[in-house]
Amino acid sequence: MNVGTKELEDWINHLQGDSKNSFNRFKRLTEVITTEPEPQVGQTPKEVIWTKNKTKLYRYQPAMKKTNKVPILMIYALINKPYILDLYPGNSLIEHLTNQGHDVYLLDWGTAGYEDRNMKLDDYILDYIPRAVKKVLQTSGAKEISLLGYCMGGTMTAIFTALHPQLPIRNLILMTSPIDFEDAGHYSNWLDKRYFHLDKLVDTLGNVPFEMIDYGNKLLSPISNVYGPYISLADRVDNENFVLNWKLMQKWLNDGIPFPGESYRQWIGEFYQENKLIRDELYIRGHKVELSNIKANLLNISASRDNIVLPQQIEPLNDKVSSKNKTLHRVDTGHVSVVAGRKAINEIHPFIENWLREASV
Amino acid sequence: MTQKTPFEPFTMWKDMYEKTEKAWHDVIQDTLGKESFSEGLGQIQYSYLQYHELVNNLTEAYFKQANIPTRDEIANVASLVINLEGKIDNMDDQLYENSETMNKDINQLKRTVSNLDKKFDKVLEALATLEKKIQTGDAMVVTETANIQPEAKSATQSTQVKPATDTKK
Repeated sequence: MNVGTKELEDWINHLQGDSKNSFNRFKRLTEVITTEPEPQVGQTPKEVIWTKNKTKLYRYQPAMKKTNKVPILMIYALINKPYILDLYPGNSLIEHLTNQGHDVYLLDWGTAGYEDRNMKLDDYILDYIPRAVKKVLQTSGAKEISLLGYCMGGTMTAIFTALHPQLPIRNLILMTSPIDFEDAGHYSNWLDKRYFHLDKLVDTLGNVPFEMIDYGNKLLSPISNVYGPYISLADRVDNENFVLNWKLMQKWLNDGIPFPGESYRQWIGEFYQENKLIRDELYIRGHKVELSNIKANLLNISASRDNIVLPQQIEPLNDKVSSKNKTLHRVDTGHVSVVAGRKAINEIHPFIENWLREASV
Repeated sequence: MTQKTPFEPFTMWKDMYEKTEKAWHDVIQDTLGKESFSEGLGQIQYSYLQYHELVNNLTEAYFKQANIPTRDEIANVASLVINLEGKIDNMDDQLYENSETMNKDINQLKRTVSNLDKKFDKVLEALATLEKKIQTGDAMVVTETANIQPEAKSATQSTQVKPATDTKK
C-alpha cells in the first residue's frame, strides 16, 4: 500500500506544473476534509464558578488584572455552542475583551438531554439568568453589570432586562438578536401555523434535533450553504490561514445541540408565529414583558448580510426601550461573521470594547 | 484562466458552481418563498413525525413488555437528580444570603460582648478598690485598737460588733 502511494507520488512529481499543482491541491483538500484533526476551540483560560443542571457559568482569565469595574456576562442562545464567542486565539471576542481588562463571564447552557424537554424559556430567564447575574456580582464584587447576548441569547437577555428593572444592569449589548418577528424572511412562510406542525413536532420528538434546525438554516440559501464552503476551500486550499478559519467555522456550524422542546414551542409559537414580544403581549411565568422597562445603556448590532436574523427583526428594539444612551450599529457581515472572522476582529470587537468602556465610566 | 490548461478541475468546478448559483439563485429563492413550498414542507414534516411517532410507540411498548426501562422512565430519574441539585443550589444561595446577615449579627454581638467585658473590668476594678479600702480600713482599725487603753478597747469592740448585729437584723 505504502509502496503504491510512493510510486503514485513519484509519478505525480514527474508531471508538468499545472497538473502537479492540481493534484497537490486535491491531495491537500482531501486531507483537510477527511484526515486532519479539528482545531482546538475555546482556548482562553477560564474557571467554572457556578453550575446548575447542564448550565455552566465561566469566568475568563481570572488571574488577569481587571481594569474595568463593570463585569460582562455573556448569555448565549439555545442553538449551537457558545465557543463561537471564544473561537480561537486571535479570533475571539472574549479574549479581546479580557485582554483589554474586562472581567468576562459566559453562561453556557450546555447540551440539553431528553430530561430537559420540559424546560421553558421562563425557566432559563427567571431561574438561571438571575442566579448567574448574582454570582457574577458576588464574584467580581461589582455594583453593576453589563449583559451581552448573541442571537437568541440576546432576545432572552432583553426579556430578562425588561423583567428586572430593579437590577443594576448598566449596559446591554445585543448582537443580531431578533425582537420583531413580523417579517422573518423565509421563516415567516415555513413556520406558518397552517403548515408547520409545531405541537406534533415537540410532542413527538421531545427536544428538537440540531439537524432539523440546521436543515432549516441551510435551506435559506441551499446552493451557497451546502456547496459554497467546499468551493471556497478548493479555491484557497493553499492558504493555511484560510484553511484554519474554514475548519474552525465548519466545526462550529456542524457542532450543534438539541433545542429543549418546550422552549422551542414557545420560541416558534409566541415569537415567530404570534410576534408577541415587540407588541408587549408576551408573558413569562405570568409576568408581562414590556421592552420599555429597559433603561440600561443599549448597543444593538445588526448585520446587513444576515439571512438568519434579518436587520428589520433587530432594529425596532431601539424605538421601544427607555434607555437614554442607545446605539444601533449596522455592520456589513453575516450572522456568524459578526462575532468571528477578519471583520469582527478588526472592527466589531474593538467597537464593542470602546463602547463598553465609555458606557461604563 | 480556463484556457491556460487543458484540464483544471478546480477552476472548472468553481466556474460551474458560480454559473449554477447565479442562474438558479433567483429561481430557488422564488420557490422557497412560495406558499406551496411551505405547504409541501409541512406535509413532509407531518409524514416524518407520523413515522417517528409510530416507531416511538412500538419501541416503548416493546420495552415495557421486555421489562426494560423506557426513555421516559430514565429521563424521570434524571429529572429527580436535577430537581435535587436545584434544591441544593437554592440552599447554597440562601446560605450565602444569610451569611451576610449573620456576619452583621455576629459583629454586633462581638461589640456588645466587648462593651460588657469593659463594664465587667470596671466593676472588678471598683471591687478591687473597695476590697483594698476595706483591708486598709481593717488595718487602721487594728492599729488604732493596739494603741488604745484596755477599757476603751472593749468599748470599741462593742461599737464594732454593733453594726454587724444591726445588719443581721
